[in-house]
Amino acid sequence: MDFDSCGRRRHRKESLQSIYSCSIEGWFQVSVSDKFQKSNMSWIREGELSFIERLSANILKAGPMPKHVAFIMDGNRRYARKRHVERQEGHTQGFQKLAETLRWCLNLNIREVTVYAFSIENFKRSKEEVEGLMELARQKFRKLLEEQENLEKHGVCIRVLGDLALLPLDLQQLIAQAVVATRTHNKCFLNVCFAYTSRYEITNAVKEMAWGVEQGLIKSSDVSDSLLSKCLYSSSSPDPDLLIRTSGEVRLSDFLLWQTSYSCLVFQSVLWPEYSFWNLCEAILQYQLNYQSLQRAQEQHLEEQALQQLEADRHCVAELLQQRENETVIDGQGRKELLLGYTLDREERVRGFLDALQNKRDDFFNNLTSQAVLA
Amino acid sequence: MAFLYELAWRLLHAALHLQRTLLSWFRARLRSFDWRLWKRAFAALLVPVAFSFHAHRRLGPQTGKRSCRRFRWGADGRALEKLPAHVGLLIAGEEPRCADVATLVVWCMAVGISYVSVYDNRGIFKRNNLRLMDEIQRQQQELLGVDSAKYSIELVNGTSEKADSQGFVCQAVVKVLSPNDGKNSIVSAAQHLCRSVEQKERASRDITVDLLDSMLRDSKRTPDPDLVLKFGPVDSTVGFLPWHIRLTEFISLPSHTNVSYEDFFGALQRYATCEQRLGNPLLGTRGPPQDSAVEETGDSA
Repeated sequence: MDFDSCGRRRHRKESLQSIYSCSIEGWFQVSVSDKFQKSNMSWIREGELSFIERLSANILKAGPMPKHVAFIMDGNRRYARKRHVERQEGHTQGFQKLAETLRWCLNLNIREVTVYAFSIENFKRSKEEVEGLMELARQKFRKLLEEQENLEKHGVCIRVLGDLALLPLDLQQLIAQAVVATRTHNKCFLNVCFAYTSRYEITNAVKEMAWGVEQGLIKSSDVSDSLLSKCLYSSSSPDPDLLIRTSGEVRLSDFLLWQTSYSCLVFQSVLWPEYSFWNLCEAILQYQLNYQSLQRAQEQHLEEQALQQLEADRHCVAELLQQRENETVIDGQGRKELLLGYTLDREERVRGFLDALQNKRDDFFNNLTSQAVLA
Repeated sequence: MAFLYELAWRLLHAALHLQRTLLSWFRARLRSFDWRLWKRAFAALLVPVAFSFHAHRRLGPQTGKRSCRRFRWGADGRALEKLPAHVGLLIAGEEPRCADVATLVVWCMAVGISYVSVYDNRGIFKRNNLRLMDEIQRQQQELLGVDSAKYSIELVNGTSEKADSQGFVCQAVVKVLSPNDGKNSIVSAAQHLCRSVEQKERASRDITVDLLDSMLRDSKRTPDPDLVLKFGPVDSTVGFLPWHIRLTEFISLPSHTNVSYEDFFGALQRYATCEQRLGNPLLGTRGPPQDSAVEETGDSA
């Protein structure tokens, strides 16, 4: 290995060299450059934090830490233009950065990460770019299936959220295999939003509730804020505590609009492939500064929700009483009991409906997996 | 060891809070200081850019009383490359003040913004919307003077709406919103759809994004907010219209109390320079290749 003017080891490939410019991050990454080249397709970047990074992580962990972080990984194409490389290379570097960021999150005890990989709207990009992204996705999911042991070791559960029916069938099958293979892992969770928009997700949740009504599993009066949340693609995850968008854009771009109402939003100007551990620490610090106000706002919202649910149940009970013609007059205690009974019935109905919904979703993936096996 | 980390964490946060307090103090003093002193103070504090929602740094010199600017407002609006059709004023994490918000609403109207939404996450404005309306009318008189007759503000509250809107040069529709207008309105629409499914008027597969979207539009067909000016220290939307903000730009200003016109207009200028594709910004069609077209989601994977 020869050395460049900054005293750092020169990399064999030009495109990699351009990443490690004379920046402080470059110093920390020199030691993993060999591993980087070997595992450049991997979902998990092996390696530990440096001493200073570990120290900072420990200091941050003394305060409240987000349990679920969402990323809008923006800036791959601008990065590619900046480095004068192919656009596809920008996307590939973006993926490396994702793998690295996942490792940092694990080091920081952030066990759930959601990323916005591909929007439904992005299908409108040039055919070449869309096909390139689909091919990259195929490679990544194939690699994931090869790395199952590693994923099991780290306990990574992969979930893919979106309207998967819009994707090519072979990619759907690969995704289904990955999801089914990692379904039982529970140490950390990676949610990949693919063929996703938040409006579509919300509409789909409403459709599912309407399906439940059609099937006679729930009544229309059971529809509520919390039931809708449980019908979203992200129902198995808590709402993100922190949403980070890179590249300086200050929009949500149809990502987790429902789930991030009370999340800390951090917009950072760094391009995604250049994202560093320190950028992540900055975002977490921002979260910690907002923690108490957001907790308060969230609690207020939950209290309001509970009150509204109680009101709705009371209203339903009153309607039921009106419908019963030959019932004797009910006293206060009787009403309370009726209300409690109604609430329990409603909760039972909702549980049954959610189980049926989960089965429907599991069946979707299982069918795709068995198709893939037969093929 | 854990104790030392906790101590370091507390010191770090104390330093950050101190920095924030000093910044607000400096901002308050800015009104009477000249700009060079402000620049020096800024440099001395070495304010890290990241520690604000999206730091608004364009703090120009004070130009005197607000009312002196009235003749320039319309010209200012026309001078911008693009003006948002709908601006949201989001008060997050500070006590809402009617007078200050009323001033902002009148400025919006004066520069030519057609729709203004006012929101705070505790529903305080909603409960006091008559007072807010009075304050807006008062500010309209005070700030616009003789021209105020040319401007019409229509307060839309979901209940009664003023029908007469003729003969005005500029009209603005003001909506006062609370968290109920956010997720709750989506839930109401969902309940309505499920009821119609229950009554066999519709099938679940007929429910589409466009259908839900049309149900969430008001009678005025108010467009989605193009820009939200967020005031206050909390970096969150705190429940503001989740459905409608999919493509909204968020610009943060430290506080809505005693906000200067320069800060307000600076935010509009920032919005004007940010690049979005016309119409649906997520469409694949773009302008000339060399312009840094907005990187929409899907850059990764």
